[in-house]
Amino acid sequence: MDPILVAENINAGYGEAIIVQGVSMQVSEGEIVAIIGPNGSGKSTLIKSFLGFAKLFDGKIFYQGKNISGIASDRAVSLGIGYVPQIDNVFSNLTIAENLDMGAYHQRGKASIKARIAEMYDMFPELEVRKKGLAGNLSGGERQMLAVARALMAQPKLLFLDEPLASLSPKPATVMLSKMENIRQSGIAIVIVEQNVQKVLSISNRGYALANGTCVLEGDASSLFDGDNARQRYLGLDSHDPISD
Amino acid sequence: MMINWPQVLFNSAITGSLYLIGAVGLTLTYGLSKFPNFAHAEFITLGAFIGYLVAEQLGLGWPLALLIAFLVSGTVGVLCYRGIFQPLAKRGSSIIHLMVASIALGFILRHSIGAIWTWKPVYFSAAWTSFDVGSMRISSLWLWLIVTAISLSFAIHFLLMKTRIGKAIRASASNPELALASGINVNRVILITWFIGTGLAAIAGIFRGADTQIWPMTGWDIILPIFAVAILGGIGNFYGAIAAAFIIGLAENVGVVGLIALGLSTTYRIGIAFLILIITLIVKPEGLAMLFRRF
Repeated sequence: MDPILVAENINAGYGEAIIVQGVSMQVSEGEIVAIIGPNGSGKSTLIKSFLGFAKLFDGKIFYQGKNISGIASDRAVSLGIGYVPQIDNVFSNLTIAENLDMGAYHQRGKASIKARIAEMYDMFPELEVRKKGLAGNLSGGERQMLAVARALMAQPKLLFLDEPLASLSPKPATVMLSKMENIRQSGIAIVIVEQNVQKVLSISNRGYALANGTCVLEGDASSLFDGDNARQRYLGLDSHDPISD
Repeated sequence: MMINWPQVLFNSAITGSLYLIGAVGLTLTYGLSKFPNFAHAEFITLGAFIGYLVAEQLGLGWPLALLIAFLVSGTVGVLCYRGIFQPLAKRGSSIIHLMVASIALGFILRHSIGAIWTWKPVYFSAAWTSFDVGSMRISSLWLWLIVTAISLSFAIHFLLMKTRIGKAIRASASNPELALASGINVNRVILITWFIGTGLAAIAGIFRGADTQIWPMTGWDIILPIFAVAILGGIGNFYGAIAAAFIIGLAENVGVVGLIALGLSTTYRIGIAFLILIITLIVKPEGLAMLFRRF
């Protein structure tokens, strides 16, 4: 598979503070890549630096072979890059239908947007039931679904999800994981930043583990923690503990 | 003392309509830029003088005066945002820096207006028809003011709820980072909002000027109740501002009855809006916003 995203030697942060140092990664078309690591390890900052939401101090980012380093945040979506932030990931004062409409803001053609919204309702039937309700009134699981659906409205080829399972109880989390599988099957590459290591690795092809802003492990998701005492060193787990949050 | 209640209610509608037109722009620009633009007063004044220039000095009539004042004030508003507030915001200025900059801009605009036109009050010469309905004294100017406020409210409601740019304004006000992630050019949305907001201030200025006088303090004279409307409505909230404008209009006019009954000067009426503003900030700083969550 060709890489859709290549990041080389990323140094990123906010203001003057460098949080991520020397991280390189790549994502191939149609795969799910997990970025895991403890709180404060720089996972979110790394993906935000790809999208112009965090400062890129050094390094290069290529999307479909094109250098997009330092891209303006509102330009990424028109290139086919979707992003779902961890918190505040819906427009709470807009209805569900309006949220979806905003997801396709750069697209023209009422009919195609309407058709896309119908596709989202097929994928997330829970949303259609409450399409005229305000997003702010949704439950945590519904809100997360709307957040993903809004990002999918732009028909991305690459989707960044920042902790999509955080604050979800087990059942909605399982539903969300199966939706991610469906999205991957439709040909969209997904990068998931997540602390719920076991769950996210169960659906990922590959993974990167960050600690203190650097990449300390990378490889196939199924064997990321095989071989040594990496779990304890990087995630603070005993080697016999199950890998979970 | 016989109180002419129909007149009090009608006067409340007049006051509320003026405050509404004045406050909508303030609240919309706050919603996007997240600072109170004190120079809003001077956009009201600028509108009054542009209206005076077009209607009186050039003799082009009222409709053109309203249109040109809206366009000129909106354009000056956009230039001010682009030249002053946007660069400051990009450098990470706090709400205090932006607010103080807006006070400074207000001074510059006010004194420039005084230097270009005059510091002496001038007046529109249009003779408005007055007539009685029952016990109410009604002027055609006041009817136009009420009709304009209602029409503008519907127009802005349509803009915010039915058009994509309006939804983008609401989206950008609510969550700018997510708006960017959705491909919305938030800077452009802010500029459009400033154009509309400062343009609407000009409309308020013309009506205020026609009802009283036009001088470089025209906007400053009513900025306090306009801020009270914006804050009571839940600053940034258009629908809250509609409700608040008529609440404060009613409170002021009923307050005037009270002031007369107490033998006090009616110039204290401005204190009523100030009192509501202070009470709102102490008791319910979010104002009426919770009742109107869609902006």
